[in-house]
Amino acid sequence: MNKKELLKGNIAIAKAALNCGCKCYFGYPITPQTEIGEFLSKEMQQRKLAYVCAESEVAAINMALGAASTGAKVMTSSSSCAVSLMQEAISYASSDELPIVLINVMRAGPGQGYIYPSQGDYNQATTGGGNGDYRTIVLSPSNVQECVDLTYKAFYLSQKYRNPTILLVDGLLGQMAEPVEINDNPYQEIDNSSWRLDGANERPSRNIHSLEPNQNKLNRHIIELFKKYTIIEQNECDYEEYMTQDAKVILTAFGTMARHAKALCNYYREKGIKMGLFRPKTLYPFPYKKLNELSQKTNLIIDIEMNMGQMLKDVRLAVLSNARVAFIGKPVGDWLTEEEMIKAADNILKEQYASI
Amino acid sequence: MQVFNIPRAIKQNSNFTFCPGCDHGVAIRLVAQIIDELKLQEKTIAVASSGCSVLLYDFLDVDCIESPHGRACAVATGIKRAHRALNNDRFVFTYQGDGDFASIGLAESMHSALRGENITAICINNTNYGMTGGQLGPTTTMGQITTTSPDGRNAHYHGFPIKTAEQIALCEGTSFSARAALYDVKNILSTKNIIKKAFQYQIEGLGFSFVEILSSCPTNWKLSPKDSHLKIQNELTKVYPLGIFKDVKND
Repeated sequence: MNKKELLKGNIAIAKAALNCGCKCYFGYPITPQTEIGEFLSKEMQQRKLAYVCAESEVAAINMALGAASTGAKVMTSSSSCAVSLMQEAISYASSDELPIVLINVMRAGPGQGYIYPSQGDYNQATTGGGNGDYRTIVLSPSNVQECVDLTYKAFYLSQKYRNPTILLVDGLLGQMAEPVEINDNPYQEIDNSSWRLDGANERPSRNIHSLEPNQNKLNRHIIELFKKYTIIEQNECDYEEYMTQDAKVILTAFGTMARHAKALCNYYREKGIKMGLFRPKTLYPFPYKKLNELSQKTNLIIDIEMNMGQMLKDVRLAVLSNARVAFIGKPVGDWLTEEEMIKAADNILKEQYASI
Repeated sequence: MQVFNIPRAIKQNSNFTFCPGCDHGVAIRLVAQIIDELKLQEKTIAVASSGCSVLLYDFLDVDCIESPHGRACAVATGIKRAHRALNNDRFVFTYQGDGDFASIGLAESMHSALRGENITAICINNTNYGMTGGQLGPTTTMGQITTTSPDGRNAHYHGFPIKTAEQIALCEGTSFSARAALYDVKNILSTKNIIKKAFQYQIEGLGFSFVEILSSCPTNWKLSPKDSHLKIQNELTKVYPLGIFKDVKND
């Protein structure tokens, strides 16, 4: 076992990227993720890897698109309003089937918002902020150790499925230090020799493009993409359950909000209310099936998010009419105090539990 | 006696899809000939862009990627840098229109030149947005009528055109910047030499090399192929003079 280190989420992500063989990083500064680029600037130069201080996020993601076409492991990182600038190239990379890892350490929006923490980019990340029919894989860490583990996984899944993959990180997780172990990358390397652009040497030339003037071919291409997405949905749903076995009330939350939700579970269990937590670790593919199963044994689901209810629609799609779905949220900044959270939860629970 | 061959780097049996009289075909053929002469086919990755120039990969028999509109130099940067990180020596060039290189992509183009990115960019300047039907672009000349400048380009209303090769020559990371034309045989041969030089500068690792090519657009100029080429010879070369604006070997 490796030694534990006290690391900020941003640094942990950067170290994990290097550790699993990231060859290229292209970035542009924006709070609260800038430490990723700062850390990598020194490390990658020393290792003679590709590091460019790009002139914009638009350039950074397009450098990543080009670099990914060589088969090298590629990463860029940014935050919310600047990730909006990258959406065009993410749409292209989805159609091109290029494995780009994008770290979005979220800040508050809309627009420039501010550097306060927020989970306001769930919709953009999971449903695609660019044009056309496509999906990006979205992973959501809840602590700094998972920043490491899910960075490894993001590189692996992006290569395995040849698909852009987003690590959607709460701003406070990027800036928060926790003890973490930079373990070895547990995933196997994926062979990319069948598609990478490395020169047409003793093989026919290849081209990677999204333009397709033939509508039949374009239809076929998109249908093939969605066959791939179906496989991803079948194989890659990942989640954490906390005391759901006997739960009559289930909280849903992603990222750091799940940590508050666990505290609520403990509080209400002491009061005799069997509460549990369901936390998706993959936001796309969303684990609809598992949440649906859980909801069949409960009367009430309470979704908790640091936004105005973005994952809420996926929770509702999973729960259908199996249980009542309520929401506790605040879009930006200092999270609800313990008293405020309990008050909000009490109000929802009153209908089911007269004793509250 | 056979005096002309289709270059090895041109795909066999490809059908010409450009408009009659368009210079794209000549430019792509020259690029293919140089790829043959410099033996680059097996180590080239070409970056096509948006607009008519995206059709490059229909003709050129090398590895090719399409770039989002304007981002070709950024995409090429990523490819070149990634291959360097993988210890591969690869030849990387972009093929772009003037709208792509000098309007929507000006930031990516100029910063690639400023970084001295060791890639080559070829910019086909036909003074309008060709594929969308001939709108005012960054290189539309003063007085030129387009579908979005129906009374001609006017300095007060539309502002001024960009002299791309001269601007790129000002960037310290540029190794070579030139403007050429394809309106007659002499110029076609001289354009070939210029592109070849730009390619060689990349091979020698000298930094960003750039060639702007004045090209005909008979369809949108509403001129015959012959008159289009006369227009380049008599009018465009006065606005956009041919020549080499930067050459690190001579400066």
